[in-house]
Amino acid sequence: MLKYQFDWSVVTSGKYFDWLVSGVVVTIKLSTVSIALAFLLGLIIAVMRMSHVRPIRWFALAYLEFFRNTPLLVQIFFWYFGSYKILPPVVNDWLNSTSFEFAAAVIALTIYTSAFIAEDIRSGVLSIPKEQMEAARSSGFSYLQAMQYIILPQAVRLTVPPLVNQFLNVAKNSSLAMTIGVAELTYQARQVESYTFKGFEAFTAATLVYLVLSVIITALVHLYDKRVLNPQRA
Amino acid sequence: MKRLATLAVAAVTVAIFGKAALAAAPADTLAEVKKKGVLVAGVKDSLPPFGYVDEKSREIVGYDIDFIHAIAKKLGVKVELKPVTSASRMPQLQEGNIDIIAATMTKNPERAKQIDFSHTYFFTGQKFITKKGTVKSVKDLEGKKIGTAKGSTSEQNVKKALPTATVLSFDDYPQAFLALQQGKVQAVTTDEAILAGILAKAPNKAQFEIPSVQISDEPYGLGMRKGDKHFVDFVNKTILEMEKSGEAKKIFEKWFGPSTPFHLKRTFKITAEK
Repeated sequence: MLKYQFDWSVVTSGKYFDWLVSGVVVTIKLSTVSIALAFLLGLIIAVMRMSHVRPIRWFALAYLEFFRNTPLLVQIFFWYFGSYKILPPVVNDWLNSTSFEFAAAVIALTIYTSAFIAEDIRSGVLSIPKEQMEAARSSGFSYLQAMQYIILPQAVRLTVPPLVNQFLNVAKNSSLAMTIGVAELTYQARQVESYTFKGFEAFTAATLVYLVLSVIITALVHLYDKRVLNPQRA
Repeated sequence: MKRLATLAVAAVTVAIFGKAALAAAPADTLAEVKKKGVLVAGVKDSLPPFGYVDEKSREIVGYDIDFIHAIAKKLGVKVELKPVTSASRMPQLQEGNIDIIAATMTKNPERAKQIDFSHTYFFTGQKFITKKGTVKSVKDLEGKKIGTAKGSTSEQNVKKALPTATVLSFDDYPQAFLALQQGKVQAVTTDEAILAGILAKAPNKAQFEIPSVQISDEPYGLGMRKGDKHFVDFVNKTILEMEKSGEAKKIFEKWFGPSTPFHLKRTFKITAEK
């Protein structure tokens, strides 16, 4: 029924295998850097979103709505091609002498994901009884101290499951970086396809790698959750 | 729950094999096209003057398109144009979504293993667009960033000719040229005729040039499904007749001649190969 001749050797050895491996390395770098930055930025935005100072809260709200509601691909193009128009020439020259395509992808992924993470963390914070904040404040903690030492540590514990989702999304969304020439896994799989026409094999390999990567991320977060964050659950 | 799972598996199976059955593209395109009365061609839609959307008529026009119209006229059928990219055109053809590729496609041995090509209907060579005065020879591009389009032969050629350069592949050439304008790459490489088209459209063309640095020959062929002999023969016969009658030359002059921004000379003739 299928006339297709499978040839798995193109993705298991030789130069095309090396391409895929180099793609995996870039994907892992891109994902880990973006996850770490997005988590930090997400924490900050979440705290700002709940601030009692109105301008700060409004800024956070605008940030959330803006970056949650525009497509990631558009944001990637914005940072890579669009930012050129608003940055001074000196900055552009410097950016272009670096691997700006990687940086632009990290910026886009970080900002996009931080908006979702901020909302997840906020929902975690809202589930902490507000008496805790009141108790902390009356014990002499400032707002930020109360957040840092009392509220956020509990909120983040509760937020672990949705956070895993966001981390997985970063790993998968990193494939969009191929559109600005970042040689990550999907880019390399497409390269292998256009050189060998073995698209089925190349993308199957890429699919498996993403799957393994996602399972590893999930396992790591759960391990951290069990050992460090919530040892009583185990 | 179990029943639901079984149902889902069944649905997926049907979807996969149903697709496979559909994917069995017609073996005799010539008869098929005559029967359905329309020739479906995969073309470029943002690559003047080969295939692009005309601002006034909002229709796809160009050098490639004129060949498709000539072939369809000979067949007595209508034309349907489907935009394709360099990476998508071969799968589209093999899956039967299009009958013929007329999308600036270079003939090469690897591709010829997968599809059949017509005689060469356009001949060009791969060059570079760069900022004026920055490149005198291929050497000047060593270690630099070079932009091109994904899935193209240009990408493969430049990696061979300049192994030390970093090749950044974009979705299409206009995007690669945007990267050049913004200094993100030092050169954009592909076939000279395409570069001339990009440059002609550029708002600040005086800043750029196409140095006479060539890294490969690029003969273009129309792509058809492998082993589709009747159709390949028909297309070859048609374009040879077009050469003889002068129509092929007229199409070249229309899109590349002195009255156009490109001023290219026709250095080739459509001849029977092999």
